[in-house]
Amino acid sequence: MTFDAALQNDIFQTYVMIVAAVLAISGIALGILTALGKNVGPIWKTYRGWLIMVPVVLGTILLGRTAFIVGVALLAIVGFKEYARATGLYEDWWMTGLVYLGIVLLAVATHVQDPRLHVDGWYGLFMALPAYVIGAILLVPIFRNESKGQLQRIALAIVGFMYFGWMFSHLGFLANAQYAYGYILYLLFAVELNDIAAFTCGKLFGRHKLRENISPRKTIEGAIGAIIVSLALPWALWFSFPHFASWELIVTGFIVGVGGQLGDLVISYIKRDIGIKDMGTIIKGHGGILDRVDSMIFVAPIFFHVVRWLHGLVEPGVA
Amino acid sequence: MTEWEYHPPPDIDDTLAEHLRNFPREPYMLAYALRSVAAILLRTWMRLYHRMRIEGRENLPESGSYVMVCNHTSHLDALCMLCSVPLRQIHRVFPAAAADYFFSSLPRSAVSAILINALPFERTIKGGESLTVCNELLKNAGNVLIIFPEGTRTTSGQMGRFRSGIGRLVVGTDLPVVPCHLEGGIRAWPKGKVLPRPRKVHLRIGEARRYGQLDKSADSVKAICDDLHDAVSKLGAGIP
Repeated sequence: MTFDAALQNDIFQTYVMIVAAVLAISGIALGILTALGKNVGPIWKTYRGWLIMVPVVLGTILLGRTAFIVGVALLAIVGFKEYARATGLYEDWWMTGLVYLGIVLLAVATHVQDPRLHVDGWYGLFMALPAYVIGAILLVPIFRNESKGQLQRIALAIVGFMYFGWMFSHLGFLANAQYAYGYILYLLFAVELNDIAAFTCGKLFGRHKLRENISPRKTIEGAIGAIIVSLALPWALWFSFPHFASWELIVTGFIVGVGGQLGDLVISYIKRDIGIKDMGTIIKGHGGILDRVDSMIFVAPIFFHVVRWLHGLVEPGVA
Repeated sequence: MTEWEYHPPPDIDDTLAEHLRNFPREPYMLAYALRSVAAILLRTWMRLYHRMRIEGRENLPESGSYVMVCNHTSHLDALCMLCSVPLRQIHRVFPAAAADYFFSSLPRSAVSAILINALPFERTIKGGESLTVCNELLKNAGNVLIIFPEGTRTTSGQMGRFRSGIGRLVVGTDLPVVPCHLEGGIRAWPKGKVLPRPRKVHLRIGEARRYGQLDKSADSVKAICDDLHDAVSKLGAGIP
């Protein structure tokens, strides 16, 4: 992934056009609804959020591999920070500092070359990092000679690192793949569309609650609708991964359809347990970073490993 | 199993602008890091560009909270006083800054809150509330409050009347009040100029005073203001 490669990449160009078209059409649709006197105020706010986020994300991908890896690491850091603030772990600077360091190390492992295989991205270190980071987190109470309440902090820090740091950072590692543009752009587009489909289908057909104690507004109808949309999408976007067999498209759609909603539910029960509505206020009309990227956290690692098992990241059998 | 207790900060639903304006502030790791770097850069800059001289550092109390008061001719006053306290204390020094000026926009708030660690002080309305905030702040041992009792930068070169806030804050308490005088601020960075000029500045720190023996009356407040005005003027005139 480089600036020049992105400009010449058909997949990148196609996605830019698709996204621009989607934004334009939804903008016009919203405009018509407003003209008809429908109350779409909150949706406008969300839409304006998209108008800022989409160019930032596409711009980062355009800039190349390094920019994308740094961008994912920054998102992971801000996401973890929101979680740490919400749970109160943020008061513990040693724990939060270690997790930040762990996320930075993940980005480094993603960026450097594998010392034996000489390909971009040190897969072995990336996968082994949780062992080191968790080990380091467990040592903190020993260093500060403290026992009261330490297990809670350790547990919060480990979940924070594994979930918001390590699992999410798989998205960054995809930048090392031969089909980086196709994988990354498909995932971003499909996961967001899956979110929107769940919301829309829920609004239109929602009758039965999906998990009423976790997220009372999510419905079974919404979840099924989203899975159907997500199963259909890879066929339309087959050009992103032309080497996929048709059964692999079904698997891919399923990963996004199910994984996206699981990620959403995980953040929902974390928020509900803590007793807050949004994880933050950073994106107007969307809430915090975590409220936006939550669905990606489950999808990224599962997609990554399935693709790696089936095809390898660079060429079969090498990395 | 008993349930865990979480402690989400009270300002979790606030926007960035509100975060910056909130006081007391939540301790942010990034803000601390940026402030530390800014403090080091500021000290270097003040020494090289303004050839800053600080006299009477030994008069600053070594422990407990205290208030510093100073004449006010330019933004350099607060910056210079920030340089006078030990670097490790930098996160506990709070210059009281006019909320209507220093927190009027997002970039200004960011600089004021993150780099300067300013306390937003309402000088037009709700002045009493701001004094309560100051009071709470000083109850925690080790906090330092910087106040400019004139309330605004003077342009004449003559020191203005001290407003009553400082008197109301310390009357009947044992808080040390350290009078300071900055010379050269008005030449180095006069009001209305965008950038400072390379002129010398000289900060004199006087001996701390306490007003615990006074009763809480309007007369005592006025007496404190006069006494501090006098002390700062004498420092400026070089009278020991």
